[in-house]
Amino acid sequence: MPRVTQSDLQAYLDEALAPEQMAAVEAELRKKPELLKQLAAINARRDAGVHSVGEIWRRQRLSCPTRDQLGSHLLGALSAEQADYIQFHVETIGCRLCQANIEDLRRQQEETAETVKTRRTKYFQSTAGHLRKKS
Amino acid sequence: MTTPDADSLLIERIRRGESDAWNDLIERYEGRLLAFVESRLGRRGPSEDIVQESFLGFLNSLPNYDGRRPLEGYLFSICAYKLTDHLRREGRRPAVPLASSADSSETWEIAGSARQASSIARSGERKSLEEKAIAEALGDQIARWRERGDWTKLKCSELLFVRGWANKDVADSLGLSEQQVANYKFDFIARLRTLITRSEVSADVFPELYDSEEAK
Repeated sequence: MPRVTQSDLQAYLDEALAPEQMAAVEAELRKKPELLKQLAAINARRDAGVHSVGEIWRRQRLSCPTRDQLGSHLLGALSAEQADYIQFHVETIGCRLCQANIEDLRRQQEETAETVKTRRTKYFQSTAGHLRKKS
Repeated sequence: MTTPDADSLLIERIRRGESDAWNDLIERYEGRLLAFVESRLGRRGPSEDIVQESFLGFLNSLPNYDGRRPLEGYLFSICAYKLTDHLRREGRRPAVPLASSADSSETWEIAGSARQASSIARSGERKSLEEKAIAEALGDQIARWRERGDWTKLKCSELLFVRGWANKDVADSLGLSEQQVANYKFDFIARLRTLITRSEVSADVFPELYDSEEAK
């Protein structure tokens, strides 16, 4: 794998790298504190209104498969070319959001309905009180 | 599949205070948000807490939410913010110094034009319009590659621009020659420059497309 790139640092700031890449950046940051200045410089460029093609591509999710396509991929229902691209996008690019969607789709087959219901009820009960107040 | 329209209707209902709609949103998105956080934290309890905070954050930000923005991406961005905050408190993530406190030698300037960054400071609205114009152009290009089955060009450009890999690493990864990668990069940059000119977006805000060797 190539060293930590400028694009990796940009994505690191947005918590957008795959977990192992995030860990790799953090390991580099511990070894080379001067990388913090690079992160600050990226923030400065953003503040100045400078764009990066990679940042736009990633943020706008321009090549992300749809959730339906990810589901079809898990079922092995896509063409070889589409499946190959999704594997590339998820593993080599390390798209964190597509990884999360795939993991969620996998878990839907594994988790019990009771576990999911308990969790969702907790989220609902702890937030619904803010619903009307904020609307 | 959840369409943007379906999400817009859901948001409208949540804005009216309909608890069923809020429950629907939680059911639709909590699993992927939890997977996102847990992949980094590795612990279920704190991960669930962060997802919970994210939902709360979403409700708090609802009056300012622009319904044209994809809901999933918006929820992920709130979640990423909450996760970052958590990791910082745990000491796993360093605090990045503010740009203004960075060493002055690191102060960003547009290469080759000797203009200070501040001279092109733009409003948030202006930046959004520029980003939208370029995202549409990029999206069209990606759709064309897909239609034509140009998967190699898509992969090559994604590695070069999204991951920022060097030509040699891209060539090794995709089984291409460095010359092929350089050619693809040249073509892609040329295409983007044309699109930027057509969109009437200032070249100054995309220095990577004008300063790299391939762009010359």
